[in-house]
Amino acid sequence: MFTNRKTSFVMSSPYLAWALIFIIVPIGMVFYYGLTDTTGAFTFENIASIAQPEHSKALWLAIELALISTLICFLLAYPLALILARNKMSSDGILTTLIILPMWMNFLLRTLSWVTLLENRGVLNSILGALHLPQLYIINTPAAIVVGMVYDFLPFMILPLYNSLAKIDDAVINAAQDLGANKLQTLWHVILPLSLPGILSGVTMVFIPSLTTFAISTMMGGSKILLIGNVIEQEFTLTYNWHLGSGLSLVLMVFIVINMVVSMISDQGED
Amino acid sequence: MKNMKPLEKIYFWVILAFMYLPIVTLIVLSFNKSKSRAHWGGFTFNWYIRLFSDSAILNALANTLIIALIATIAATIIGTVTCVALGGLNRRTRAFIMGITNIPMINADIVTGISLMLLFRILHFQSGFITVLIAHITFNIPYVMLSVMPRMKTISPSVYEAALDLGAKPWYAFRKTILPDLAPAIFSGALMAFTMSLDDFIITYFTKGSGFDTLSTKIYNEIKRGIQPEIYALSAIMFTLVLVLIFASNRMRTVQRKDSDLTEKQIKFRNIRNVVVVSAAGLGIIYLALLFGGVFTKNSNQVYVYNYGEYIDPEVIKMFQEETGIEVVYDEYETNEIMFAKIASDPSSYDVVCPSDYMVSRMINLDMVEPLDYEQLPNTLEHIGKQYFETMEAFDPGNQYAVPYFWGTVGILYNTNMVDDPVTSWDILWNPKYKGEILMQDSVRDAFMIPMIRNGFSINTVDPAEIEIATQDLIDQSPLVQAYVVDQVRDKMIGNEAALGVIYSGEALYCQWENPDLEYVVPDEGSLVWFDSWVITKNARNKENALKWIDFLSRPEIALMNFEFITYSVPNETAREMIEDEELRNSEIAFPGEEILNRCYSEEYLGEEGEKLYAEAWKKVKSAN
Repeated sequence: MFTNRKTSFVMSSPYLAWALIFIIVPIGMVFYYGLTDTTGAFTFENIASIAQPEHSKALWLAIELALISTLICFLLAYPLALILARNKMSSDGILTTLIILPMWMNFLLRTLSWVTLLENRGVLNSILGALHLPQLYIINTPAAIVVGMVYDFLPFMILPLYNSLAKIDDAVINAAQDLGANKLQTLWHVILPLSLPGILSGVTMVFIPSLTTFAISTMMGGSKILLIGNVIEQEFTLTYNWHLGSGLSLVLMVFIVINMVVSMISDQGED
Repeated sequence: MKNMKPLEKIYFWVILAFMYLPIVTLIVLSFNKSKSRAHWGGFTFNWYIRLFSDSAILNALANTLIIALIATIAATIIGTVTCVALGGLNRRTRAFIMGITNIPMINADIVTGISLMLLFRILHFQSGFITVLIAHITFNIPYVMLSVMPRMKTISPSVYEAALDLGAKPWYAFRKTILPDLAPAIFSGALMAFTMSLDDFIITYFTKGSGFDTLSTKIYNEIKRGIQPEIYALSAIMFTLVLVLIFASNRMRTVQRKDSDLTEKQIKFRNIRNVVVVSAAGLGIIYLALLFGGVFTKNSNQVYVYNYGEYIDPEVIKMFQEETGIEVVYDEYETNEIMFAKIASDPSSYDVVCPSDYMVSRMINLDMVEPLDYEQLPNTLEHIGKQYFETMEAFDPGNQYAVPYFWGTVGILYNTNMVDDPVTSWDILWNPKYKGEILMQDSVRDAFMIPMIRNGFSINTVDPAEIEIATQDLIDQSPLVQAYVVDQVRDKMIGNEAALGVIYSGEALYCQWENPDLEYVVPDEGSLVWFDSWVITKNARNKENALKWIDFLSRPEIALMNFEFITYSVPNETAREMIEDEELRNSEIAFPGEEILNRCYSEEYLGEEGEKLYAEAWKKVKSAN
């Protein structure tokens, strides 16, 4: 647009070189390690090991928890994004700031803070005890991991939802209501479909990190619950088996590719 | 906010409360006199004062800020230039490049981190500042591009072309016509990149090397053995600083809007400029403060030390540095296996490490350690008890490689208020009565030692049938276990979080001082006796300094300092005689007698196949829940 073809290539070449060395080649290495054994011979064994009960269990549990936390994030974030968008907040960026601000405190510390809150003899139970309410024993269970995931990734759901909801023209909504749609019908038939791109990117941004986390599960799960992220991390930092770790990473990439394809299809639909 | 309905208002505040509750908790903890997260020990400003003399934390802060700042600037420039250039390419090429850009965004952090780690290892890049910086730039560029690209599409080139027609040079025309339009998108991309960089843990974790930490990796390391409260203080300061900056820039905005008649676009551009200036100024001040604090002084005379967590008196490190002028780059690990994986994947990362018996043997077998030059270890020869060298022959034949540091046993620490059964046998760890009150060791061999002894097997068995039985025992036990921990067992037992914990002898003494309700027992069936010793890694870069380090620790007065700090059994005979506190000198926990040692066994290296059997079995236990 502002440059001719030649300058365009020159200007984009640093990035292309960068992307080649630091994005494409490293992924190639994961493939190489994932598809070879310690002698360097080709093998499918590393990938096939996902079928081992302890690996498949970790994967299924990760999928389950990631789905649950994505759903909870969506249910919490959609009404909030709707409220904010309908009230025309944040023309001054205050909202974005309020939601990004917690991220300036290290996420590990924020998660640790939840451990303090949820511990068996922690803050929440002290308060519950003082009010003579039943105690909450969820630390070191999958439920605690879900709390950690929802908390850590909620901003990634709110922001894209808000962005796509704010873009919806008021006229469209007024038109729907003029034509006799009630609030629920407007939401279901007009607002929801129009915010689909935001939903998709929000879901991606919550689901993928939840599926692959190892820090949250270690902290909130007391090292008692292995998710697929933990298994992969330990292959690199504990058992020192890069081949198996890479092979399991390739399995994770399948989910990422599925996700990519889905968002590409919906992108084309938009065009 | 004013025209929100009450219900909407409530919902808004509930969500905000959910998001800020942990932050409030952290700020409260930063004023807590007690080091434990679980107790309120009174109000104090102490952690804030101590923060400014804690060079490790300030160093990590400096690294975090510099990495985030440089990565953001680099990514913003590269990303913006590329977006502008993409306008001149055809649709297909553009789609292809944006596709690649999407990869780090969509890819899991763990895969990105691992892939870069593999690249750096294969290229023999020394991990550290540069590798982390490269990684951060790589994952930051997409945030900038995905923010700038959509904006780019909406800009019409006509004004730019008009400027060219009127004789403006391309760069001048671009700066005057396009850049102001792009600025908000560039800025929000940069802000996003900076935030992500600041908050990143996973990718940094896999790409960082020895002696380099950002706040995230430092915190992750510390979480396992109890966070230093100084970190809470630091977070509270950072949070407040950002909050103030935001309010300041907001105020500036309102003031400007009132008293000027600039166009909307100009105001927006100025606002952004102001925010950039204010934040840059804030960061600059922090950076300069750190610079004057001497955080960045580099010294080529170094020794890279890798030791267990909380396994030295920090004062000793300072004394060594002052006396020898050698800078100690000091990192900590939790278990032998973590240390092994690190050294195996990056052999030059540390000069001197402190493995336990079976791991020393494993490293000798795999040719990962250097023989010692005893000429340079006079204190070691003079003060370490000969009988310890004899014992060590079992894993270091000929005493070629390892110098003993501390030794001890493993036993059960229990809270006398919470346990009313007699604690004499490992069986109590399988008693359903204590469901959720049991802490197990998160260390493969030490965890398996317990069911092996309980079943009357050797703790060094490689018989698959016996391992199978022990695995099943641990699986049966896992519903009763509150958590698998290493150093955390201390904090949790002191804070009454659990009734029973498997613990190393030295830690037990410390816990008893902090919480008199705790009692330590080596069960009747027997247990583990272990030896930790210093070895120098193969082809260590600072071999001479590593020898000086080892011999310094063998000095009686230094060994005594360390003993008083960590209270494990000290093999330094001279130091032991120097212990003044009679009770401590005769403590059965610090110096177990014959009667206990006769029923304790040590762990041996089982060959790579044997170690693998245990690793796999351990994975089964961990995924049983």
